[in-house]
Amino acid sequence: MKRVFIALMALCLLAGVPTLAAADSVKIGLMGPMTGPWASEGQEMKQVLDLLAEDLNAKRGLLGKTVEVVSEDDGGDPRTAALAAQRLATQGIVAVIGTYGSSVTEATQNIYDESKIIQIANGSTAIRLTEKGLKYFFRTCPRDDEQGRVAVQTIQKLGFKKVAILHDNTTYAKGLADEAKGLLEKEGVEIVFYDALTPGERDYTAILTKMKGASPDVVFFTGYYPEAGLLLRQKKEMNWPVPFIGGDATNNPDLVKIAGKDAAEGFYFLSAPLPKDLPTPEAKAFLAEFKKKYGNEPASIYAVLAGDGFRVISAAIEAVKSTDPDALADYLHNKMKDFPGLTGTLSFNEKGDRVGEVYRVYKVDADGNFILQP
Amino acid sequence: MEEFFQQLTNGLAVGGIYALIALGYTMVYGVLKLINFAHGDLFTIGSYLGLTLLTSLSLTDRLAPAAGVLVLAVMVMGLVAVVGALLERVAYRPLRQSPRLSAVVSALGASIFFSNALMLIYGARFQVYPQGILPKVAVNIFGLYVPLVRILILAASVVMMLALYFFIQKTRIGTAIRAAAIDQDAARLMGIDVDRVILFVFLIGPALGGVAGLMVGLHYGQINFTMGWVYGLKAFTAAILGGIGNIPGAMVGGILLGVIEALGAAYLSIAWKDAIAFGVLIIILIVRPTGLLGERVAEKV
Repeated sequence: MKRVFIALMALCLLAGVPTLAAADSVKIGLMGPMTGPWASEGQEMKQVLDLLAEDLNAKRGLLGKTVEVVSEDDGGDPRTAALAAQRLATQGIVAVIGTYGSSVTEATQNIYDESKIIQIANGSTAIRLTEKGLKYFFRTCPRDDEQGRVAVQTIQKLGFKKVAILHDNTTYAKGLADEAKGLLEKEGVEIVFYDALTPGERDYTAILTKMKGASPDVVFFTGYYPEAGLLLRQKKEMNWPVPFIGGDATNNPDLVKIAGKDAAEGFYFLSAPLPKDLPTPEAKAFLAEFKKKYGNEPASIYAVLAGDGFRVISAAIEAVKSTDPDALADYLHNKMKDFPGLTGTLSFNEKGDRVGEVYRVYKVDADGNFILQP
Repeated sequence: MEEFFQQLTNGLAVGGIYALIALGYTMVYGVLKLINFAHGDLFTIGSYLGLTLLTSLSLTDRLAPAAGVLVLAVMVMGLVAVVGALLERVAYRPLRQSPRLSAVVSALGASIFFSNALMLIYGARFQVYPQGILPKVAVNIFGLYVPLVRILILAASVVMMLALYFFIQKTRIGTAIRAAAIDQDAARLMGIDVDRVILFVFLIGPALGGVAGLMVGLHYGQINFTMGWVYGLKAFTAAILGGIGNIPGAMVGGILLGVIEALGAAYLSIAWKDAIAFGVLIIILIVRPTGLLGERVAEKV
């Protein structure tokens, strides 16, 4: 009797589980840094996607099925990310959203490409990610050559003549630093200092002391917000009044918390518009809903960009009425024009890059607010 | 020349922290021949507990800032010492008779457990100490501008290290620790309760690591749950540099590592800072395989 029962159970499992999983839902993957130094970014990405999927399911779902977000943690680390990508690739997902860091994304690109899974990165701005001719790779964030151009424009507009450039040797930060350095040299601006710090440390006074010796008019730091906050704080403690400009990875409210308001005041950074400065009605409605569900507005623009990735892929699935990756990629590359995203209109070029100008310049005021510069 | 001294003070402050953490590694290694990989996370726990106590008890408002910080430091030391003793009881004592590798794996597991537990309790975002607890005064030493906090960190580190050194050298329990470090079985035959000695080591080491975490929080402001890894690695290096198992060695190694890093960054390349520091470590180990002060086996702790 017992044996018959077990056999029956096994049959049920064999027959039942795959059909249940495959038929009833469209699976969208999310790969983000749920743990590790950028965990706050990843967790917000998940909040945004969960909310959007909930909305979609409440309305009509996709192709008559429910949408399921399958998330994996990349830990902000390329090795962990490669494993996460392999796990996701075996779970029957149509597309994956993510991830934040460029070097992390880079480690997973080929895995998704070989499995014919559409990947839409939300925070990876390194240039070379889209220069590889990968058919299924897209990103909703802009590229560093664009960012470098805006950085150089800003430095010139503010009238700085001697520039120190500091990066942190990650794919993104070094790419942006190199880009800016090349452009500045072409414009005849003097680069008095060019070097990299080690992210994840606490004491950067040795670097600041050395940089001070080169007496720059301005420091352009292309790394991430935890280090930027510490640099600002320790620069203040050294009584060194030099202005700092940061790349778009310094755009996070925690920057002000880490630096302290008095040290963060006057800090410029480049960024896609912050959630609060998003002009579209879609964005306003979404932010209100997000606040209702989670109690606060999303702090990071990259989480909202991940949301745009999700909206873009669900719109594409609706439009082509299938989950065939080739049809979806073709639709995203060629047919999607000016999709009303949360962060403005979205179209992709043949490389998978987002088309259009996205970057703005922000300045931190005395109360630690990020003020959009005209 | 002014820049040189400025960099020297930068390096000394960092080195003082490394040295305090290195003491925990070196004491445990001396007695158990175990690299306690969870030590870096005990340091992180110290900084998180410090933050919690600081914000919930508002000690610095009730007492004078200096007294408040002192009370806070004692509380953090006590709590982290308890965590350290628990760690020893749960993760290491059951493996006392197993091969050494098992204990190392257990240590790595404990490290992952602690850092993820901190993330789940406090959240993944960076935590920030309230500003203005320590006075932001700079002291003028021969025309050199040095923040007072940096001097205090170094002074506190040195005082605690000296206290530990005399504790190990002059007290009965210190003598017992030294005896257990040389030969556990022989020490047991002499009537020393080795389990108690090991417990003591796991109270003192984590207490020092925890107070280092508090100092990092108070001075640098920003803490997060992964920071123990980098500090732990550097302190471990410092312990080896000075001669692992040797208490003065850990002090010398820590301070030296901090200074090498600062000067390497200043005069060679910032991006190569770690490569320089570890390069120096390799050279020292080639010339002196037991570390700088590692040869005094009889006094090992």
